[in-house]
Amino acid sequence: MSTSTAVSSEDVPGSFSTWLASHTLLRTFWTLMRREFWEHRSLWMAPLVVTVVLLICALLTHGAFKIDTTDTLEWLDPENKTLVFALAQWGLTVPFYLVMLLAVNFYLIDCLYAERKDRSILFWKSLPVSDGATVAAKLFVGCIVVPLGTFALALLTDLLFTAIWNARAWLGHSSELVAWDTVAFLKTQTLMFLGLVISILWYAPLCACLVLASVLVRRNVLLWVTIVPLLAVIAEKIIFRTSYISDLIDYRIGGIWKSLHVEGATFGSVTNVGLAEIVSLPRFYDRVHVLPAFTNIDLWLGLIVAAACAYAAAWIRRYRDDG
Amino acid sequence: MIEARGLKKSYHATHALEDVSFTVESGRIVGLIGPNGAGKTTALKAILGLTRVEGELRVLGLDPRSQRDALMRDVSFIADVAVLPKWLRVDQALEFVAGVHTRFNRARALEFLRRTDIRMKSRVRELSKGMVTQLHLALILAIDARLLVLDEPTLGLDLLYRRQFYDILLNDYFNKKRSILVTTHQVEEIENLLTDVIFIKHGRVALESSVEGLAERYVQLTVNPDDATRARALQPFYEREVFGRIVMIFEGRTAAELAPLGELRTPSIADLFVAKMEAA
Repeated sequence: MSTSTAVSSEDVPGSFSTWLASHTLLRTFWTLMRREFWEHRSLWMAPLVVTVVLLICALLTHGAFKIDTTDTLEWLDPENKTLVFALAQWGLTVPFYLVMLLAVNFYLIDCLYAERKDRSILFWKSLPVSDGATVAAKLFVGCIVVPLGTFALALLTDLLFTAIWNARAWLGHSSELVAWDTVAFLKTQTLMFLGLVISILWYAPLCACLVLASVLVRRNVLLWVTIVPLLAVIAEKIIFRTSYISDLIDYRIGGIWKSLHVEGATFGSVTNVGLAEIVSLPRFYDRVHVLPAFTNIDLWLGLIVAAACAYAAAWIRRYRDDG
Repeated sequence: MIEARGLKKSYHATHALEDVSFTVESGRIVGLIGPNGAGKTTALKAILGLTRVEGELRVLGLDPRSQRDALMRDVSFIADVAVLPKWLRVDQALEFVAGVHTRFNRARALEFLRRTDIRMKSRVRELSKGMVTQLHLALILAIDARLLVLDEPTLGLDLLYRRQFYDILLNDYFNKKRSILVTTHQVEEIENLLTDVIFIKHGRVALESSVEGLAERYVQLTVNPDDATRARALQPFYEREVFGRIVMIFEGRTAAELAPLGELRTPSIADLFVAKMEAA
């Protein structure tokens, strides 16, 4: 029998764990968050797999990314190089956010259901942790820690990927397509980060609704959170011939992006701005303004709804195992 | 430690608790004993603030309904052997409890685990049922709590583990500052352990007494059939036939009254439980 792990993680003076030990509330919250990553390993494994796959692609792909040398000359135009560089960053980020979207959604609908399914709820409740702290930790992990962690990992992957490509270009293994451009890099990452912050705030009520469903529904949470809204939309259409519910769902999913202000065009109709505008990506970035998204009152009202759902989830969990 | 007065609880049309009152002092090991559906688990859940209940209830001076979070700093419980999550690793379990409980003694838990075959990197799903109980016990007994509540803690365990469970409980954990409240079907197994018993039947307390008090209040008399009529005149509340002789249990009779009729002894808790449950 080995006891080395538990013993080696004893507090070391001056370490983070020693600091935490003197802050009971923080230590509890930190422990609750770690617990989520122990149970739901897909939260950290899925983005890591994306990183590994992308880095392998950066090392191995050759044929797929090879551009005919006659074209390359044209692509090596500085503005086009910036465009390719920025688009590559966006492209590298997409798989991260897709995977995160799946992982977080499945996590949120499962987080308060799993403990009832495996009957471990009474073990968790035998410890001095309030229902409020439990729900808060789960929401915090799903809505903030995982998105920010994914952003950081995507950023790191982006840097590594670009470094590998540049090294390969320097060694003559590939064309110099993804040349480094600091300004484009900073602008792209800033815009991505602001987009992420807007997403976190805007989707908080949806996330909290999923957590509420996970504590409320007795079984088949996934079915409930998909079928019930769908039936509500269909029923409203048939009975009242209106579409308030589907409009609301539509708005809470994509509405905020229409608040982003692009000079000369709305973000929603960016494709109409014209190819000439898009290819000049640095100029396009300068014309995007995110402030209107933050001044959208619905963004902040949504947070009140999120808080109400979280409160309701904690309140329901209080007596949830009570048949 | 626990002061319950007039506890009432209904699930739809069923009355799980009807006017239940009892007291648990510190330094006691109290058995809450009753048949299935008698309301034992409901009473425990009420004490742990896991169910809404009517009536007066104070546990360690706190109301479990409104002060549960504070209460759980001083109360530990094992609700069922199977409740540790399957995905949890042993070292993570220690890490978690140490992270959320200021009174958890990790060294003590490790000491318990060292006596077992449980490996730090094993997940709960890889452990046998007995090992899961050992792990749960190691976690809970390493918490310096004032009240430990155990609901059928040895259900489904074989005799060796059951014996070990109670040995550890009594020898390594129990002291005069702590109380243990335990429910079980297997009365025989814990009767030497208990200092007090509470029998519960149809949501009511059928008997509440210290074990010494039982010896003073109850007498078991074994008589030959010829003496049965004279013995019945003294109003036993329970009788049954064993190998041609009749065993009767009396409440409030002295040994001097009964000794001339047959053999006397103090009824075991198990005998008394059956007698109380079968008596009208």
